[in-house]
Amino acid sequence: MTSARRGGNPARPGLAGLAGLLLIVELLPRLRLVNDRFLPPTSRIAAALADEVSTSTFWHSLGETLYAWAIGLVVAVVAGVLAGLVIGSVPLLRALTASTVEFLRPIPSVALIPLAVLLYGTQLGSTLLLVCYAAFWQVLVQVLYGVADVDPVAEETARSFRFSAWGRVRHVLWPTALPYVFTGFRLAASVALVLTVTAELVIGAPGLGKEIATAQNSDAVATMYALIVVTGALGVVINLLTRTGERRLLAWHQSVRGEVTV
Amino acid sequence: MRRRLIAGLTLALVASTVAACGSDKDSGGSGTSSGGVDNVTVGIIPIIDVAPIYLGQSKGFFKSRDIELKLEAGQGGAAIVPGVVSGQFQFGFSNLTSLMVAQTKNVPVKVVAAGVSSTGEQGKDFGAVVVKGGSPIKTAKDLAGKKISVNTLKNIGDTATRNSVRKAGGDDKSIDFVEMPFPTMQAALEGGQIDAAWVVEPQLSSIKAAGGREVASTFVDAAPDLTIAAYFTAQKLIADKPDVVKRFTEAMNESMTYADAHPDEVRQILTAYTKIDDKTRAAVVLPKWPTEINKASVQTVADLGTQDGIFASAPDLGKLLP
Repeated sequence: MTSARRGGNPARPGLAGLAGLLLIVELLPRLRLVNDRFLPPTSRIAAALADEVSTSTFWHSLGETLYAWAIGLVVAVVAGVLAGLVIGSVPLLRALTASTVEFLRPIPSVALIPLAVLLYGTQLGSTLLLVCYAAFWQVLVQVLYGVADVDPVAEETARSFRFSAWGRVRHVLWPTALPYVFTGFRLAASVALVLTVTAELVIGAPGLGKEIATAQNSDAVATMYALIVVTGALGVVINLLTRTGERRLLAWHQSVRGEVTV
Repeated sequence: MRRRLIAGLTLALVASTVAACGSDKDSGGSGTSSGGVDNVTVGIIPIIDVAPIYLGQSKGFFKSRDIELKLEAGQGGAAIVPGVVSGQFQFGFSNLTSLMVAQTKNVPVKVVAAGVSSTGEQGKDFGAVVVKGGSPIKTAKDLAGKKISVNTLKNIGDTATRNSVRKAGGDDKSIDFVEMPFPTMQAALEGGQIDAAWVVEPQLSSIKAAGGREVASTFVDAAPDLTIAAYFTAQKLIADKPDVVKRFTEAMNESMTYADAHPDEVRQILTAYTKIDDKTRAAVVLPKWPTEINKASVQTVADLGTQDGIFASAPDLGKLLP
């Protein structure tokens, strides 16, 4: 916060850092410090990127990656929020599921690849299975924290005022849990992208990941790097969007608006 | 009140999960026929070897036989055999060694068409063992005791390499095979992690272009005009829809004959499903696509594999080959 006020645009040092990285990648192979067959200079990666962008296959794959990501994320968030609210508001359910959740949550989604291939082959379903599984826990756990964070006094007050069950969810539970839901959403959005690309890369489900694998198999090293850059850029854009959305929608919340200095 | 809320939330959760599961299902409807046209899905690996099927698709060799072809180029070749057996794919492309492994385990698969064959020319084949330019390894005999990379252990790569070393009078038992994907072999070779690499095109061309040297044409050493891979199906499909299988075989044979006669069109169709750059595309050694399966050569590979202990029991080629 303070640095933003003092130092002007906080994005500027970040951009300088990026420019530095691009320069290093350009120089390393040019100075023969690394073999340019394995790490082509920035300029050649950029040229390969320009070539890719002009093909319809690229945009089609990008669309497929975004589609799988979005569907998987929506399913995971809806399921995570609902499950979180139900489990979180019933102490018995919470006690019953706690050990199961703690057992299932750390299972790396990629370990489910054989199962996904068996069930859905090299199709969208495989990607969705992995994405939903990984993203679901991110949301669920955050929502559980959020529900547990409800101020007992506020809850009791609402009860004293004879709020209906729905009224208590709407006016007490939901506003408390919302920042947690957003944190869960933001984490899930990044994890979902990671898993989408992983599934495409490993299983061969349609999308950018599969294009990366094809480029690798075709010995098109510069194209491979270009596509990796695209997935990276996608991650940055997704993160920026979720952060901006979080700030806008939670503008009223103290975690965003900041404490009044005394 | 509270109970009703919980019931409502639970119901919503169940509903959303069910909806989610429903959307996961792919409604491809492969294997079905509509209006006399059969939808056929083929599991392949996106490599040069399968160029004829892409070419045949674009030339309409399948459509003219009422086959609507869908090609599934998953990365994992290992997923193709289970995919065909489970009916996810009607046909699949696989190398014969893997099919023989499946056969010895009584997996119900049967070859329906040839897939790809060696060119049969020493030094001019699409697969070989290569070393770095300055390597002291000069002949296949020198490979004894060295570290050689193959894409899959206990498969055609190590069997064929062992055979080449034995033929040259070297000790094949002392070879240290390591498994790594083809695309990483060049870096491993230049970095000195391996002494030699068993590679196929397009990596073979690019290693040679970077100064690498070929020391053994393993497919050529194994058998003259070796049939390396084939298209296969599940025995259930042969029993249920012999007509579809017959038409697929015909279309496949026409595609391969056409591909063999039109190498320029093969090089062109590669742009449709690979990202091989123009220079490499013009330089790669194309395999041969005869429609006949060279049974003697397959028997040789079966014998070599049995000798090396790849198969639990000797493969029964009568059951596997058409």
